[in-house]
Amino acid sequence: MDLPALFRAAAPPSIPPLHSAPSPRSNYVIEKDNNIAIEGRNLNFSIKTRKGGLVPILKDCSLSIPSGQLWMLLGPNGCGKSTLLKILAGLLNPTSGTLYLKRPKSFVFQNPDHQVVMPTVEADVSFGLGKLNLTEDEVKCTVSKALDAVGMSAYMQRPVQTLSGGQKQRVAIAGALAEACKVLLLDELTTFLDETDQVGVIKAVKNSLNASDDVTALWVTHRLEELEYADGALYMENGKVVKQGDGSSIMNFIEARQSSYINRINS
Amino acid sequence: MNCTHCIIQTVTFPVLPARASSKTLISPFLAQVYPKSTFKNAHQTLKLTSFKVRASLDNSGDTNNWVSRLPTGALSGDKIFKLISGATASPIGQFISSPTTFLHSVDPRIKLIWLLALVVLPARSHIVMRFGLVVYIALLSVLVLPRHVWMDQLGRVSLLSGILFITLGLGSDGVPPLVQLRTPPPAITGLPNLPMSLSGYSYLIMKLGPLQFTRKGLSVASTAACLTFTVFQSASLCLATTTPEQLAFAMRWFMLPLRYIGVPVAEITLTLLLSLRFINLVFDEVRNVSLGIVSRRIKWKQLTIIETIDIFASYIRRIFKNIFSHAEQISQAMIVRGFRGDSNSHKIYFLSDSSIGMADFVSLLCLIGVVGAALLSDYYLV
Repeated sequence: MDLPALFRAAAPPSIPPLHSAPSPRSNYVIEKDNNIAIEGRNLNFSIKTRKGGLVPILKDCSLSIPSGQLWMLLGPNGCGKSTLLKILAGLLNPTSGTLYLKRPKSFVFQNPDHQVVMPTVEADVSFGLGKLNLTEDEVKCTVSKALDAVGMSAYMQRPVQTLSGGQKQRVAIAGALAEACKVLLLDELTTFLDETDQVGVIKAVKNSLNASDDVTALWVTHRLEELEYADGALYMENGKVVKQGDGSSIMNFIEARQSSYINRINS
Repeated sequence: MNCTHCIIQTVTFPVLPARASSKTLISPFLAQVYPKSTFKNAHQTLKLTSFKVRASLDNSGDTNNWVSRLPTGALSGDKIFKLISGATASPIGQFISSPTTFLHSVDPRIKLIWLLALVVLPARSHIVMRFGLVVYIALLSVLVLPRHVWMDQLGRVSLLSGILFITLGLGSDGVPPLVQLRTPPPAITGLPNLPMSLSGYSYLIMKLGPLQFTRKGLSVASTAACLTFTVFQSASLCLATTTPEQLAFAMRWFMLPLRYIGVPVAEITLTLLLSLRFINLVFDEVRNVSLGIVSRRIKWKQLTIIETIDIFASYIRRIFKNIFSHAEQISQAMIVRGFRGDSNSHKIYFLSDSSIGMADFVSLLCLIGVVGAALLSDYYLV
């Protein structure tokens, strides 16, 4: 089934009803169609100010992402992309709404220095496996495969601080891949990278997705040129997803908005 | 200083301009304070005002602003920040993965025993042995480390040890009349003078003005300097040839029996690993923030002392803020990656091969030889 096509004309996105009715405050609904990896409905999130007032960050935000694909999440600064991603990762709890996510999931931070916990490459990649009861040989094999997938197998013993930004970012991705996650949540991975490292990191993610049919990635980005690698994309504005579709339709949508904005300024 | 204070009666003519601008001496903000009518009629108003003015004169008759004469530019902030950013550019004690030497293949547990021996031996052995250990570690550093690394490390440690040697050598026994008991000379007590040493022994080795370099000074200075050298350089050598994980593995291996008396070995191991990772982040922050200040091209010579202190205070505040932010983000990353706060349930894998090989045997034999030589030196070298 051509899933991106399913969403092509979806503005606002039409999401099928969830299989079980959630309680008003519940965040997760486990029973779900296997074709969908991430689904959120009417997600709301607010933060409390010092004076006790509520500032809404997400307002009835809904999204649906099929399994085994790389999707990108775009939008202007402050529209709630990173907040949505942190909610999907479980770092924040939504104020209301329902959320379905395949497990296990991994989150990769924007700054690799925040993600890489251990002093050397192989130790960091194996850190996430600490919660599993694996033998040393199994860990070695998993770490080796994960580093191979991102092209960093020659750097196993290297101290993390001697790596470039792009290499650190790949180590962070390898750490996420080693956990054999079903969903990868990636927060602006290419912000600090040059063009070569940017392409290297995207290809590393794409290759790891191709190697496994069941892994889904949601990639937050500001760079429109990265859309060509995406199977689908979401565009957010003012705390909600306003457009969901394939890469080219989102690109056209953004370009139309840019030209209308320029026309408005010039008139 | 003679000062003259006087009270002067003055008359002021507050001729306010109709339209205050930035070029007038009166602030344009006055327009917001006074009503417009004040400005309109100001030139017509003549007001007699009397107030007291205190003036001061010194002997020369010149007015001197002493604050401007303070040496604010002597320790240029720019130079200090450049030094900080340069010094932290290469973190101390960093693992060097290549070139791989025989020390890389020595078991980390044996390296830790060596470290312990090198702390104890300079303090407990003969002076010849102490200097022998210094030469041995220096030669090992030259053999094992890349040229720029050993030159940098040996230079710093030698400088520190040299300063210690000179200050302790001349200072520990340099002022005997003040610190020693004033015993009466042999002529008063009626005892014969002590005979001179036939072998040419002299307690005083060298005299340098009021300071004297004695045998006691030599002993104290050589112990302190050699101990400093061996501790710093052997630790650097160990860190340069051992990964943090190997070190943590060795520490855990030695501490494992302590589990039975309630020591949180897993927690200590994880803390050690996180600390070794965090040291680099701290170095990065210190360097980045100081580079940020250097790049602003601040005119340090024009700043007062208070302003200079303010910049340094904000520098330190910024470093702490960034480090705490890093710590928060890393703790979030650990949670996301499955760590739930219990070090015992979250396994840390040490993937390096820790089997005993030929290099370990050779290293152990050398260690036994050095310890034996140190013990024998006490008996055979007087």
